[in-house]
Amino acid sequence: MNDDLAEVVRILTDVLGEDFLPDVEIGPETTFTGALALESIEFAAFAARLRARYGDRADLPAFVAGLDLDELLGLTVGDVADHLAGAAR
Amino acid sequence: MNARRVRVPSLLEDPGIRRVRTPERRFLFAVPPLGDGTAGSVTANNAVAAELVRRGHKVAWTGHRASLEPRIRPGSRLYSAVEEDFERRLHGLHGDWLDLRGLAALRFLWEDLLVPLGHAMLPGVEKAIDRFRPDAVIADQLALAAPVAARRRELPWATSAATSAEFTRPLAAFPRAEEWIRELIADFQLDHGIEDLLDLRFSDHLVLVFTAAGLIGDTSFFPGHFAFVGPAPERPAPRAFPWDDLDGRPAVLVTLGAPDGPVRDRFFRVAAEAVRGVDVQAVFETDPGALPDPPPNVLVREQVPRHKLLERVSAVVCDGAHDTVCASLAQGLPLVVAPVRDDQPVIAGQVESAGAGVRVRHARARADELRTALTAVLKEDPYRAAAERVRTSIASAGGVAEAADRLEKLA
Repeated sequence: MNDDLAEVVRILTDVLGEDFLPDVEIGPETTFTGALALESIEFAAFAARLRARYGDRADLPAFVAGLDLDELLGLTVGDVADHLAGAAR
Repeated sequence: MNARRVRVPSLLEDPGIRRVRTPERRFLFAVPPLGDGTAGSVTANNAVAAELVRRGHKVAWTGHRASLEPRIRPGSRLYSAVEEDFERRLHGLHGDWLDLRGLAALRFLWEDLLVPLGHAMLPGVEKAIDRFRPDAVIADQLALAAPVAARRRELPWATSAATSAEFTRPLAAFPRAEEWIRELIADFQLDHGIEDLLDLRFSDHLVLVFTAAGLIGDTSFFPGHFAFVGPAPERPAPRAFPWDDLDGRPAVLVTLGAPDGPVRDRFFRVAAEAVRGVDVQAVFETDPGALPDPPPNVLVREQVPRHKLLERVSAVVCDGAHDTVCASLAQGLPLVVAPVRDDQPVIAGQVESAGAGVRVRHARARADELRTALTAVLKEDPYRAAAERVRTSIASAGGVAEAADRLEKLA
């Protein structure tokens, strides 16, 4: 699972651009809507990159479609890594 | 089909088919105070109200006096409808809302603004109905109080939608958030004794949609009471502009509705880098002080005569504000859209789906991304052809006259 987390962080950093993240250390607790303020186009790019890396088990759109509004707002990098790890089993 | 016939015409008395004059009707427009979000709604409703008055009908307004009065025709009848307690909190709520983005802004809008505002407006809207005695109510799409008041008074009511956002299922990716909003709308009606639940954003009598149908795509499956009448016409604002400085190269307008701040200033700096050395002229609508040393092909103006300028430029870069997008597409101009908040990401997606432009990010936009997008919409014909198709959909929409025709039939 730690491998998944590291990979998610790497992909996310790549999508956002390292130079935009001098003050933000992306970790499992980092929320997409909070500190990162991910824009919808970035979220789509992130989902596409995850899918390219992990294939069908990284179906981020299907994962978020099951979340309610509070869960969506609280969604963390760790949640996505856990989802990938769970989907691998 | 100017009006409905109030009596079956007698064949013997009048064998010809003639236009039947609609007797005078009374229309009440309800607009919630939502800051700049109200502006588009009032623009569209103002145009319809003026047409109704021209046809001999009476109109009145209800909503928040302080924000509505300066935006409607002077001397218009206006019934205040926001309870004082809530009115005092309104300014603070707007501020809190504007600090949020994305789904957080959406949650706040519904939970902390629209629903409490609906409760706070309902007594006032009902009082306005009782005093003005309208034949029909025209409710802004986000004015929850007005449809409930109209239904409780058994009046026909129309939805007035000032943006295209709600017509392409903007939350389709988040079905549980979509459901949450419908539940709030259901609870609001139950709280006021209505058990036959409707989605208050879409009247079951008439939905006037002030947008380019071409932005939504296929509108043929919408029921007949959805009228895509086209965007409200802009009122040209005459402003000085150095027209002679435009030297014939393709020109691009870069304009953002976003408030002053570092993100806005950064976007213009990035846009300046994006066009540096490119064979275009760019007109930036922003404070020249925020961009001290622009490239030679960038003209920075605090304000521009947008209406006239759009006739001269070849593409527009904007944040996806519905009025700017429609005004650009009405000229057949392709767009680069860097959305910020609320309906802007949805509209940016619609522009892209229509093929009339490219969506880019805003806060972390990069010069090379912006340059690629801008070059594409300027050079590649499909973008222009798609923008042209949307232009046609605007030109062939029924406009304010159709909106008024539909309302006359409703009342």
